[in-house]
Amino acid sequence: MSGPDTSPALEVRGLTKHFGGVYAVDGCSFQAPRGQVTGLIGPNGAGKSTAIDLISGFKLPDGGTVLFKGRAIEGLAPHHISRMGLIRTFQSPREWPGLTVLENVVMARWDAGRESFLRGVVGLARAQRDRSSAELAKAREILDEFGLLALRDERAGNLSGGQKRLVEFARIRMAQPELVILDEPMGGVNPVLGERMALAIEAFIATGTSVIVVEHNLPFIERVTQHVIVMALGTVIAEGPFESLRSNQDVVDAYLGGAVAG
Amino acid sequence: MREYLISVLTEGAIFGIMALGLNVIWGWSGDFDLAYYGYIAVGAYMTLVLTVGPAVAPAHYILGLTLPYPLAVVIAVITSMAVSLVVGSIALRHLRGIYFSIVTLGAVYVMYVFAGQYTPLFNGYQGLSGLFDPMGDWFGLDYLSYQYFLLGLCLVLFALVFLFMWRISGSRFGMALRTLREDERAAAAFGRDIYRLKLKGYVLGAGLGGFAGALFAAYLTAFNTSAWSPVEVIVLYSAVLVGGRGNIWGVALGVLIMGLLVQESTRFLPMLPGLGELNTVHPQVLLAARGAIIGLVLVLFLRFRPQGLLPERRFADSEGALAVAPQTA
Amino acid sequence: MHDALLTLGFGIVTASILALSAVAFTLQYGVTNVANVSHGEILTVGAYAAYLVHQRTGSAIAAAIAAALAGGLVALAMYSSLIGPFIRFGASPTVVFIATLGMSFVIQNTLVIFFGAANVAYTLDPGAPRQLGPFLITPLDEEIVVSAVAITVVLFVIISRTKFGKALRAVSQNRELARVTGINATRIAGATFFLAGLVAGYAGFILAESVGSFNPYFGFGFFLITLTAAVAGGLGRAFGTLAGAVMVGLILEFAQTVRLPGGSYVSASYNLAFAFAILAIVILVRPRGLFTNARRSIFE
Repeated sequence: MSGPDTSPALEVRGLTKHFGGVYAVDGCSFQAPRGQVTGLIGPNGAGKSTAIDLISGFKLPDGGTVLFKGRAIEGLAPHHISRMGLIRTFQSPREWPGLTVLENVVMARWDAGRESFLRGVVGLARAQRDRSSAELAKAREILDEFGLLALRDERAGNLSGGQKRLVEFARIRMAQPELVILDEPMGGVNPVLGERMALAIEAFIATGTSVIVVEHNLPFIERVTQHVIVMALGTVIAEGPFESLRSNQDVVDAYLGGAVAG
Repeated sequence: MREYLISVLTEGAIFGIMALGLNVIWGWSGDFDLAYYGYIAVGAYMTLVLTVGPAVAPAHYILGLTLPYPLAVVIAVITSMAVSLVVGSIALRHLRGIYFSIVTLGAVYVMYVFAGQYTPLFNGYQGLSGLFDPMGDWFGLDYLSYQYFLLGLCLVLFALVFLFMWRISGSRFGMALRTLREDERAAAAFGRDIYRLKLKGYVLGAGLGGFAGALFAAYLTAFNTSAWSPVEVIVLYSAVLVGGRGNIWGVALGVLIMGLLVQESTRFLPMLPGLGELNTVHPQVLLAARGAIIGLVLVLFLRFRPQGLLPERRFADSEGALAVAPQTA
Repeated sequence: MHDALLTLGFGIVTASILALSAVAFTLQYGVTNVANVSHGEILTVGAYAAYLVHQRTGSAIAAAIAAALAGGLVALAMYSSLIGPFIRFGASPTVVFIATLGMSFVIQNTLVIFFGAANVAYTLDPGAPRQLGPFLITPLDEEIVVSAVAITVVLFVIISRTKFGKALRAVSQNRELARVTGINATRIAGATFFLAGLVAGYAGFILAESVGSFNPYFGFGFFLITLTAAVAGGLGRAFGTLAGAVMVGLILEFAQTVRLPGGSYVSASYNLAFAFAILAIVILVRPRGLFTNARRSIFE
């Protein structure tokens, strides 16, 4: 077995999507390195969220290809992509509000066996029960790590925005995907939680999950990413470490006013 | 009086099963399915055509076998599930919210019209009759004893269904259904095949409906389109709503309350000033008054207590309380 | 309702009535995002009002006005007592949908309490039929169609030319935005319901009259077809609805001429079933109606 896998966690080539006459995503191509945090930034309307929807199967692309784990996944249904190991979050926290925090985390893992109707209902088998309590223990452990253990029986819908985001992160830790795409995780969240989230993202990397982060909050991007991709008008206009982008004229122009500069 | 009580309790148990089935689709999957009563009807009709024997002119209906009742019930349930598979595979693929409700309303209306109009199927509006004391002859029961037998049978079956639902509620399958209700997108992002999962829940619920329908046929000894009148349907849905959608105890409570309301209203309504006199002029007035009250109850609950009297219970992590303390190796 | 449909069959007269009913429904939906299941009851109330007034006064015109007014008032009451409060309370569209279903049930039963459930015969002298192209039409039919067209024209003038119409369109498109620009969305919605009610009430009058009889349940049956036309045209889009109504009317008329193997014709009682089959197909293929673009994946 040769050294660590250096193939990209995700590869996007020529991704395209139009609505009517408008090209939301127009020949977007990039690679997200494995084992790193890649940022995806760009001004409003750059097509970042649409690109995420296309990659994760929530929208159907008009052209291009997405390679994940050696397979072309464009056009696949979201649950297929998720089961392959690519999980994404959404711009607003999407917890399961009526379920408890603990249930939210436990249900993060899709369990083919026990969610099949027959086995789920009839399964009194010991192995199932054992797996179930090991799972609960794992979930509690993760919640504890995120400081949410005390809230585990609380209805998830009752939590604050920041807490919901943390629950989402806990879910991702539970699911342990190969790649997670975070869609504006800092949106609506108290900046105080920023460091906690950054640490959570670093923990993802440590447990083998590569990360792509879409964000408007540039200091956050600077804090967590090793590699940044800049999109504008539906396509990639620059790539590189965050520092290098400050002086990139294209990037500055795209942001119209130098939000990146200085 | 005793016979009346037996009859009411038997019907209550059957309604309870119906409500539990509806709860799977409306309470757990979160889809307001108006086609549900159709599956109950299919269950009832199929049970009858499989047990009452060949059609005697001028009656017309399909099959007309004389199978033993339990076998007929099994086939009836399978038929209900098959019909629901057809409706569900269309309605659940792309539709949610009111579009889903409207299409299922259409589906049930089509079923109703066909059952009533297309006489070769189930003898049209006349329907079928003649299912007397199924399984009674196994035990050599007389009329009164049979009433007790049926009551006991229905109560036991209700208890079994309740247990079954309790099992599902706590199972991963049940929880997966509820994630669909809570947030579909997130469920998909975490690996759930929304369509297939909803379809499974839908067919399961319909199967229970068909089962209840089969029992209903035995209780009524007959079935036709007047047995699925709007009142029956609204009472069923109200029971699930009033009691507490998603909570099987709530559903049972709802059936109890709506049952009481329906029974008691027939008793006290004639005593209301004016209503009694009106009823002599227009004989349906009492029934209409009851219907209006039920509708009002439904609307009031939707406004002031949409989660029902017993909201869904949450799994409280008791074990965890002990595991929190010292660090395990 | 089945005998009613048998007598009526489907044709331009019904398409006209359907158009009015569907536009009224669409107006209500546009301004509140609520599918009012008790819409049919507005027609029923209109029919009863017309009948009562006609009995008293002998004037068809008075009856028509009474129908419209009764319809308007009932629709307004529906909005202010149920739909409006539910929306303000933040209920989801499905919850309000169920509530209007409950309200429909309450209204039907209340009518039974006061008027009994029996069919009420109601006929106006149709006049002698004459040939008009391929159609055999009576003067009454003509009046119905002409009045329907006139009402539709007036409605569209109101919607597109008046200040009220402009506010109505604003609220339909974006309630919040309309509020921000100073429009009292609640007041506009209430007024729209009243307007829609006027139209629907009148539709109830001419429907009852064309069929020859009515009862407390007859509006609900017609509502199901109205729903088909409204959804076919695209919920919330008034122009599309008209096209939807015409289409549904035509399809149903043709369905009646289909010969089954064995030589018999399809019974008119299946009409509603047909209507729903159409509805299901439309929703599946183009849930936003026939006159908009189809959606892509379930999440779009």
